Parts: sequence; structure tokens; C-alpha cells
Amino acid sequence: MMTIASAPVPITAPARPGNLEIRSVSKAFPNVQALTDVSLDVRPGEILAFMGENGAGKSTLLKIINGDYRPDTGTLTIDGRALAFSSPRDAHKAGIRVIYQEPEIIPGVDVAENIWAGELPKRFGLIDRGQLNTQVRRSLAEYGFDDLLPMNLLGDQLSSAQRQIVEIMRALKTGNRVLALDEPTSSLTDDEVERLFTLVRRLRDEGVAIIYVSHRIKEILRLCDRVAILRDGRLIAVKPAAELTESEIVRLMVGRDLTDVFQRRPAGSDREVLRVDALYSNWHRGISFHVNAGEVVGFAGLVGAGRTELAKVIFGDLPKNSGQVLIDGHAVTIRRPDDAIAKGIGFAPEDRKREGLVLIRSVLENASLAILRRLSRFHFIRSGLERTVVSGFVERLRVRTPSLEQEVGKLSGGNQQKVVLARWLAVKPKVLILDEPTRGIDVGAKAEIYRLIDELANEGLGIMFISSELPEVLRLSDRIYVMQNGRITGELAGASATEEAVLGLAMADHLSAGPATTATPTQEGSTA
Amino acid sequence: MSVNGTPQSITPVQRDGAMRRLIGFVGADNLSLMFALVVLIFLITIVSGWFGLDGGDKFFSWQNIMNSLAQAVVVVGLLAIGETVVIVAGALDISVGSIASIGSVVAASVLVGAGTIGSIGFLPTGNVLIAVTAGILAGVIAGWINGMIVTVLRVNPIIATLGTLAAFSGFAFLLATDGKPIGVLTQPDFTWLAQGRFLTDFPIAPLGGAKWTGIPVLTVILVIVAILVHILMSYTDFGRAIYAIGGNATAARLAGINLSRVRVLMYMLSGGIAGLAGVLLTSRTTSGNPVNGTGLELQAITAVFLGGAATAGGRGTIFGTCLAVILVGILNNGMNLLGFNTFIQRVALGLLLIAAVAISQWRQARAERARTRTAAEG
Repeated sequence: MMTIASAPVPITAPARPGNLEIRSVSKAFPNVQALTDVSLDVRPGEILAFMGENGAGKSTLLKIINGDYRPDTGTLTIDGRALAFSSPRDAHKAGIRVIYQEPEIIPGVDVAENIWAGELPKRFGLIDRGQLNTQVRRSLAEYGFDDLLPMNLLGDQLSSAQRQIVEIMRALKTGNRVLALDEPTSSLTDDEVERLFTLVRRLRDEGVAIIYVSHRIKEILRLCDRVAILRDGRLIAVKPAAELTESEIVRLMVGRDLTDVFQRRPAGSDREVLRVDALYSNWHRGISFHVNAGEVVGFAGLVGAGRTELAKVIFGDLPKNSGQVLIDGHAVTIRRPDDAIAKGIGFAPEDRKREGLVLIRSVLENASLAILRRLSRFHFIRSGLERTVVSGFVERLRVRTPSLEQEVGKLSGGNQQKVVLARWLAVKPKVLILDEPTRGIDVGAKAEIYRLIDELANEGLGIMFISSELPEVLRLSDRIYVMQNGRITGELAGASATEEAVLGLAMADHLSAGPATTATPTQEGSTA
Repeated sequence: MSVNGTPQSITPVQRDGAMRRLIGFVGADNLSLMFALVVLIFLITIVSGWFGLDGGDKFFSWQNIMNSLAQAVVVVGLLAIGETVVIVAGALDISVGSIASIGSVVAASVLVGAGTIGSIGFLPTGNVLIAVTAGILAGVIAGWINGMIVTVLRVNPIIATLGTLAAFSGFAFLLATDGKPIGVLTQPDFTWLAQGRFLTDFPIAPLGGAKWTGIPVLTVILVIVAILVHILMSYTDFGRAIYAIGGNATAARLAGINLSRVRVLMYMLSGGIAGLAGVLLTSRTTSGNPVNGTGLELQAITAVFLGGAATAGGRGTIFGTCLAVILVGILNNGMNLLGFNTFIQRVALGLLLIAAVAISQWRQARAERARTRTAAEG
């Protein structure tokens, strides 16, 4: 399938050396120190990998390089010249280009115009279509992508892989000195990955400095020259790829000292409250698992593994194609969230501001939202009962609010999350699905949430605990399911699980099976 | 935002003084509306004094207050009350004026057995209760159609009701005989709805030279509907769902609220109230006329936003809307008395709508800033 021309000609503009020096860069967001004192060189003619867990700071660093964010302290220089980016356009001018996983594509416009958007060749003030098409066709053939990207497709007809190629072509049309690729292979097939690698190696040989961000350790070891490992916003190690092994990288990525000592005592009964059998959906391929009463079951995996979608499919907010959900051993039909609630499932979503709370309404109204029916007689809310129920949970969860009438949007992140939890505890569910319940809240509130999860499980609730923070999954879970690419790749006992084991399963390369593009027949068949 | 680390985490709201209690009860937004009302009345008095117009004297007469004002605001008031529910839920119903036209024609044709419906001929004529019910029911059905278009066909509410604004208006013409008004003058029981008075014998001192003429039936109907919808919005699960959907539809859905059901019911409510407004229009103008409701949606929507409803949804009260309806009514009435022509009044109404929405947007931005500030501290 390799279609690269036999005699390679330089495919970027005459290579200028571009030594990108990152010096003592730090960046903080509210409640989060995203980067701390990172210093790193990106050298011309080499491929440098950025690795780290979710939230390690890779994306923030890329965004600083691309000019999306300004560092709080520290400098970026290219060939000794200081860079002060205030926008991605400045970065492009300096010859730096970041290729994101989900590029911006203009829907109603064809491939050539998408590639040249913003810089279309003009003649007499009109777009010179002839020149445009010739140029794009030539370069597509040159890079070996011509058979993957038909010129007549419009932006909204492109697959994720094709969008990725458009974004790469955009970056290549101007001579770039530093090129960063963020998870470029996540939507590509094996063959496409090989072509991309060939292209990346060729760019490196022409003197471009390349940053390659990926979770796929095998790919990194095969492609990259050096590996930079980030953890909790700090640069942990920069080593030549030849000196590293898979397990070494995983150890460097996760090996942190666990300051918080909360450790749940293993518990749980043998009584199943939730069972999911062979669930297929647009995001999942054959998911089966169970949650027992009084058990905290952790769901680990990388961002995009399909955990949030799994929660939403079970909760009836996203459609499933086939498979069964059983509550207390009985098969149930769940079409909408209200069915799920009636069957005893609660779900605290990941993004509490956008999906969890009505920010402009009061603590009282938010906390009672899921039990309005139960609180009403002839549709009239029994306000005395409502206040009693809600204030009970508000006190138990120690929600710090001046009154029950306080607008939820005016509370801190931790207290907002507690209001969401109060809503679901009021439902008295059998199973509670918590999606990233500690995201964006401070350490004190986190500890309270941990204690609460532990308590609730001890009272007999089955908890499905989705989190991207491995230490908390390990500390809280009685059992852990690890997901990757819409599948469960492993089940671990909470007591014996280690971060290395979980990460190994979360990143186990399924290159042979091929991601999303090779859908199983079951999925296709049952959609109809 | 945290109070302090005590286990007793809820502290009751401390408000001292009658003024604070009043603000707490009425709401700061409504208080500013009341202030605007006072200023407006003051302005009408001043302006009429300066230019030597007699509008000021007329304004403070029972005749004006009970006849022109209390009756004139009723139809717009009813439409605005229904519209409040829709806007609080984050949607819009532009078709209320056309639904009122349908209600008007349906009530008249059932009453006198004329028009398309009259030709069917199975409904008894001359029964006021059946005529009123038919008008309201027609509105409910029109609202159900709006709701289905928005929820099943997933058409944006503005576009959906812009379409039905035209369609319902045309339908009202089809229902009437050759599109001509259907007269109901011969039905005194029916016209009493708009022209009747309660408490005519009540001994109240003359004001502004004219004598007490009683409280119009129309006004009583408006007050009753306002109270009922207020109760619906404040004390029922339906009202809570409306506020939740308007504030954050995704969160409401994930909390188990059936968005489609609530939205269809909401449009049916708005349609039913618009149908009732149409019935009252027939009674007041003594004819079921397909042009009766034309253009009323603009005044209704203006009043809702002026009354403090958020353009994004989730905020707004029936009380605020009612205050705004009175404000718009006084403005129109005052301009009439002072001799401004209708073209100037339309310009003023248009500008008022824009000003009301601008104020609403400004309030939202301010609230947003306050939220992010406190969230950053916490």
C-alpha cells in the first residue's frame, strides 16, 4: 500500500533549524496547578514524545506551545529568540504548529478549501480553483494520502481519519519548524498509521522538530527518538527511547507518593444489584459486568475509553443497540433517565455545571429535582416535606450554604458536587453511578467525598465509580474494571490492583483488532 | 462562600427591618418595576401639566382606570401570563396572537352556529359555557400542535411558532364564513364577559369627577388566571420542571424530567390561555373576527421580558409579568390620552421590547460574573 515516491524531494519549505527551548514554564488554573517549572528542549531533526496520565499536563503544555494559553511564569524561545504568543496565529507565524485530535473542519466546504482555509490562492480577487486543486492534488499524492482523501468530499462528509489528514496537510503547506501531533493515531487504521509514521520520519529527516503525544507506548517506542514523561504537571524524566522499556515508562508515569491515606476496607456482598450483559452500542462492543450491593466498583481507563458513555447508556440517556441490563436480577427496560431512576439507578454526571445542576436555581430545587413526584400530592409539592428531606441530606453531606434558597451557581465546586449527591441520595437508589465525582474540587472536599462513598457502600448501596485519577480508584474500589476503546480489557481485585497493572490494561494496544473503524457485525446488525 | 466549619451548616437568612422583608417578598426586580410605574405615572402628570393637555386629569378618573386601563390590559395580560411559562422554560411562542384569533372565531361560531364549525351543526347554539369551552379547547389543540412540532419534529421554537403564527392566522380566516367576522351582539350573556361589572353599587367616593362604575368582569378573569398560573409555577412539580428545563435542560433531563412531555403541556397551557383571550376578544368586540389577535404577541412578549424573565430561561415570575403588563398598559393609555398617534406608539413598543431584553441580558451577565467570582474564591 505504500505509495511514497521513490526519490523523496523535500516536502516542507527549506528547513530552517528550529530549536524550541521551554524554560521553567508554570501554569495554574483555579484549583489546579497544571504545570510546575517545566524545562525542555525540542530539537530539530528528532521526534520527541510527551507521555503522562490524564491530567499530567501534556495538553496544557501543548496549548502553551500553540499560543492558546500564556504561561504564568517561564519562557519559550526558538533559536534563542524569545516568543511571546498571545494567539495560535502568532505561533503559526513563528513556524510552530500543533495538530489537535479533533481539528476544526468547515462543514460545507470541500477538501482543498478546508486545507487552504484562510489563505486561499486568489486571482483578480476570486478564488483560483484551478491552481488550488492542482496544488492540493499534487501534495496529497506526494505525501501518499491521495487514495485516502477524495478531493470532492465536503467537510461534514469526512471521517475522523480524513479530518486528521486535512489538519496535517494544513500544517505541511507552510514550512513549519516545530510540528506537534496530539494523539494522531487514535482514529486511524493500521495502514493509515504506517503512512503517518513514514511521513513523520521523513519530516524529521528534513530537519523538522516533532512533538508526538500519545498514550500508545508501543507506537512511541517504535517511532520516537526521545521520551519526555510528565506527572502531576512536572517533568519527571527525559530519556532516549532506546533506553526505555514499556514497564519503565508506566512506572515513571504513575510512581507518585500517595499523600492521602484514606483506604477503604474491602466490603460488599454477593447480592448483585446491577448486571450488564453483552451490551453493544455505538460506543461499546460487548460490555459485561456486575455491581454487588455494598460494593464500590471502579471503572478505570483513558479519556475516550467509553466509560462516561457506558454510564449514559445504562442510565437511558444514550441508546444501546443490544444487550441487557438487570437490576436485582430482573431484566429491565430503560428508555429514558426517568425509567432508570424509577428502577433505582442514580447518576451524577461528569460535568456538574453543564449536566448536573441548574446553576441559577436554589439548593432546594436542585436537590429535590429527581424526587418531585414522590414529594407531591396531586402534583402539589408538599413544601414542608421537601425542606425536611433536603435539609436532612444537606446536613449529612455538610453542604456549606447560607440557606436552602442559595443559588447553586454561587457555591464552591465541592459544595456543588455535594448538592448533586444529595439529589441522588434522596432518590434512595440501589445503584449510584458517579462519573468523575472529584473532578475540579479541592483536596478537603475530595476527602469528604471519599468518606461519603465509603459510608454509602457500607450502607448497602452499589456504587459504579468512574474516575481518571488512578490513586483514588485504587483506594476506594473493591473491584476495578479497566476499559479501553469501548471494551472491558480486564477486571482486577481492588486490594491487589496496582497502578501499573491498571495502566497496562488501559493502554494495552489493540492495534491488530483496529479501533472504531472495524465495527463488529453485531453492532451494525442491531442498529437497523 | 463557606460560612465556617461548624457542623450546623444551614444558617437561616437574617433579614432585619420591614424594608428588607418587603424586598425579600416582592423581589428586587419587581421593586424596580414598581418604581418605573410610579415614575411613568408621574411623567404623564407632569407632561400633561406642561403642555396644558387634559390627559392628566382623565388619567386619574375611575372612568379611565376601570374602563380603558383595566380592560385594555386584560387580553395582553392573559397572553403574557401564558407566554411567561414558555419563556421561563427557555422557549418562545410567537403564535399566541393567532391562537387568540382562532379562539375568537371558534367561540363566536359555536355560539351563533355560523361559519365552518356552525355548518357542522351538532353543537347547541346560544350556550355561553359551551362556546367559551370550545374557544379554550381550540387554543389547547393549537398549543398541542406547537408542542408536537417542537418536540417530535425538533424544530426550533422560534421557527416553529413563527410558522404556526402564519398557519393559525390563516386557519382562523378559513373557520369564519368567507373570512368575515361573526357577530355575537345578540348574545347579552356572552358579551357580559367583557362588558359586565361587579360591585357597581359599592359606595366609593368619586375620583377625578367621574363616578365609580364597578370592577370589570374582564379584570376579575385576568386576576384569577394570574393567581392560578402563579400557583402552578410556584407550588407544583410542573412549575419546578419548567424552571429546571429553562435553567439547564440537560441537567433536568438527567434528573429524570421528561422534557418532551413538559414542553407539550407548556404549549397546551399557553395555547389554552390564548384561546381564552380570544373568547374575551369576541365578547369585547362583539364579533368573532380572525384579525382579533393579530400583533398581540409582540406586546405579550415585551411584557414578559420587561417583567424580569431571563432570555435564556430559568428565571421569571407571573407577578413580574403582571406588573410589566400594567406598565405597558399605562404607557399606551398615557400616550393615547396625551394624543400621540398609533405609529409613535408602535415605535415606542418596539423600542421597549429591545430595552427590556437588553436589561435582561445585562442582568444575566452580571449574575454570571458574580457566580464565577464566588466560584473562584471557593
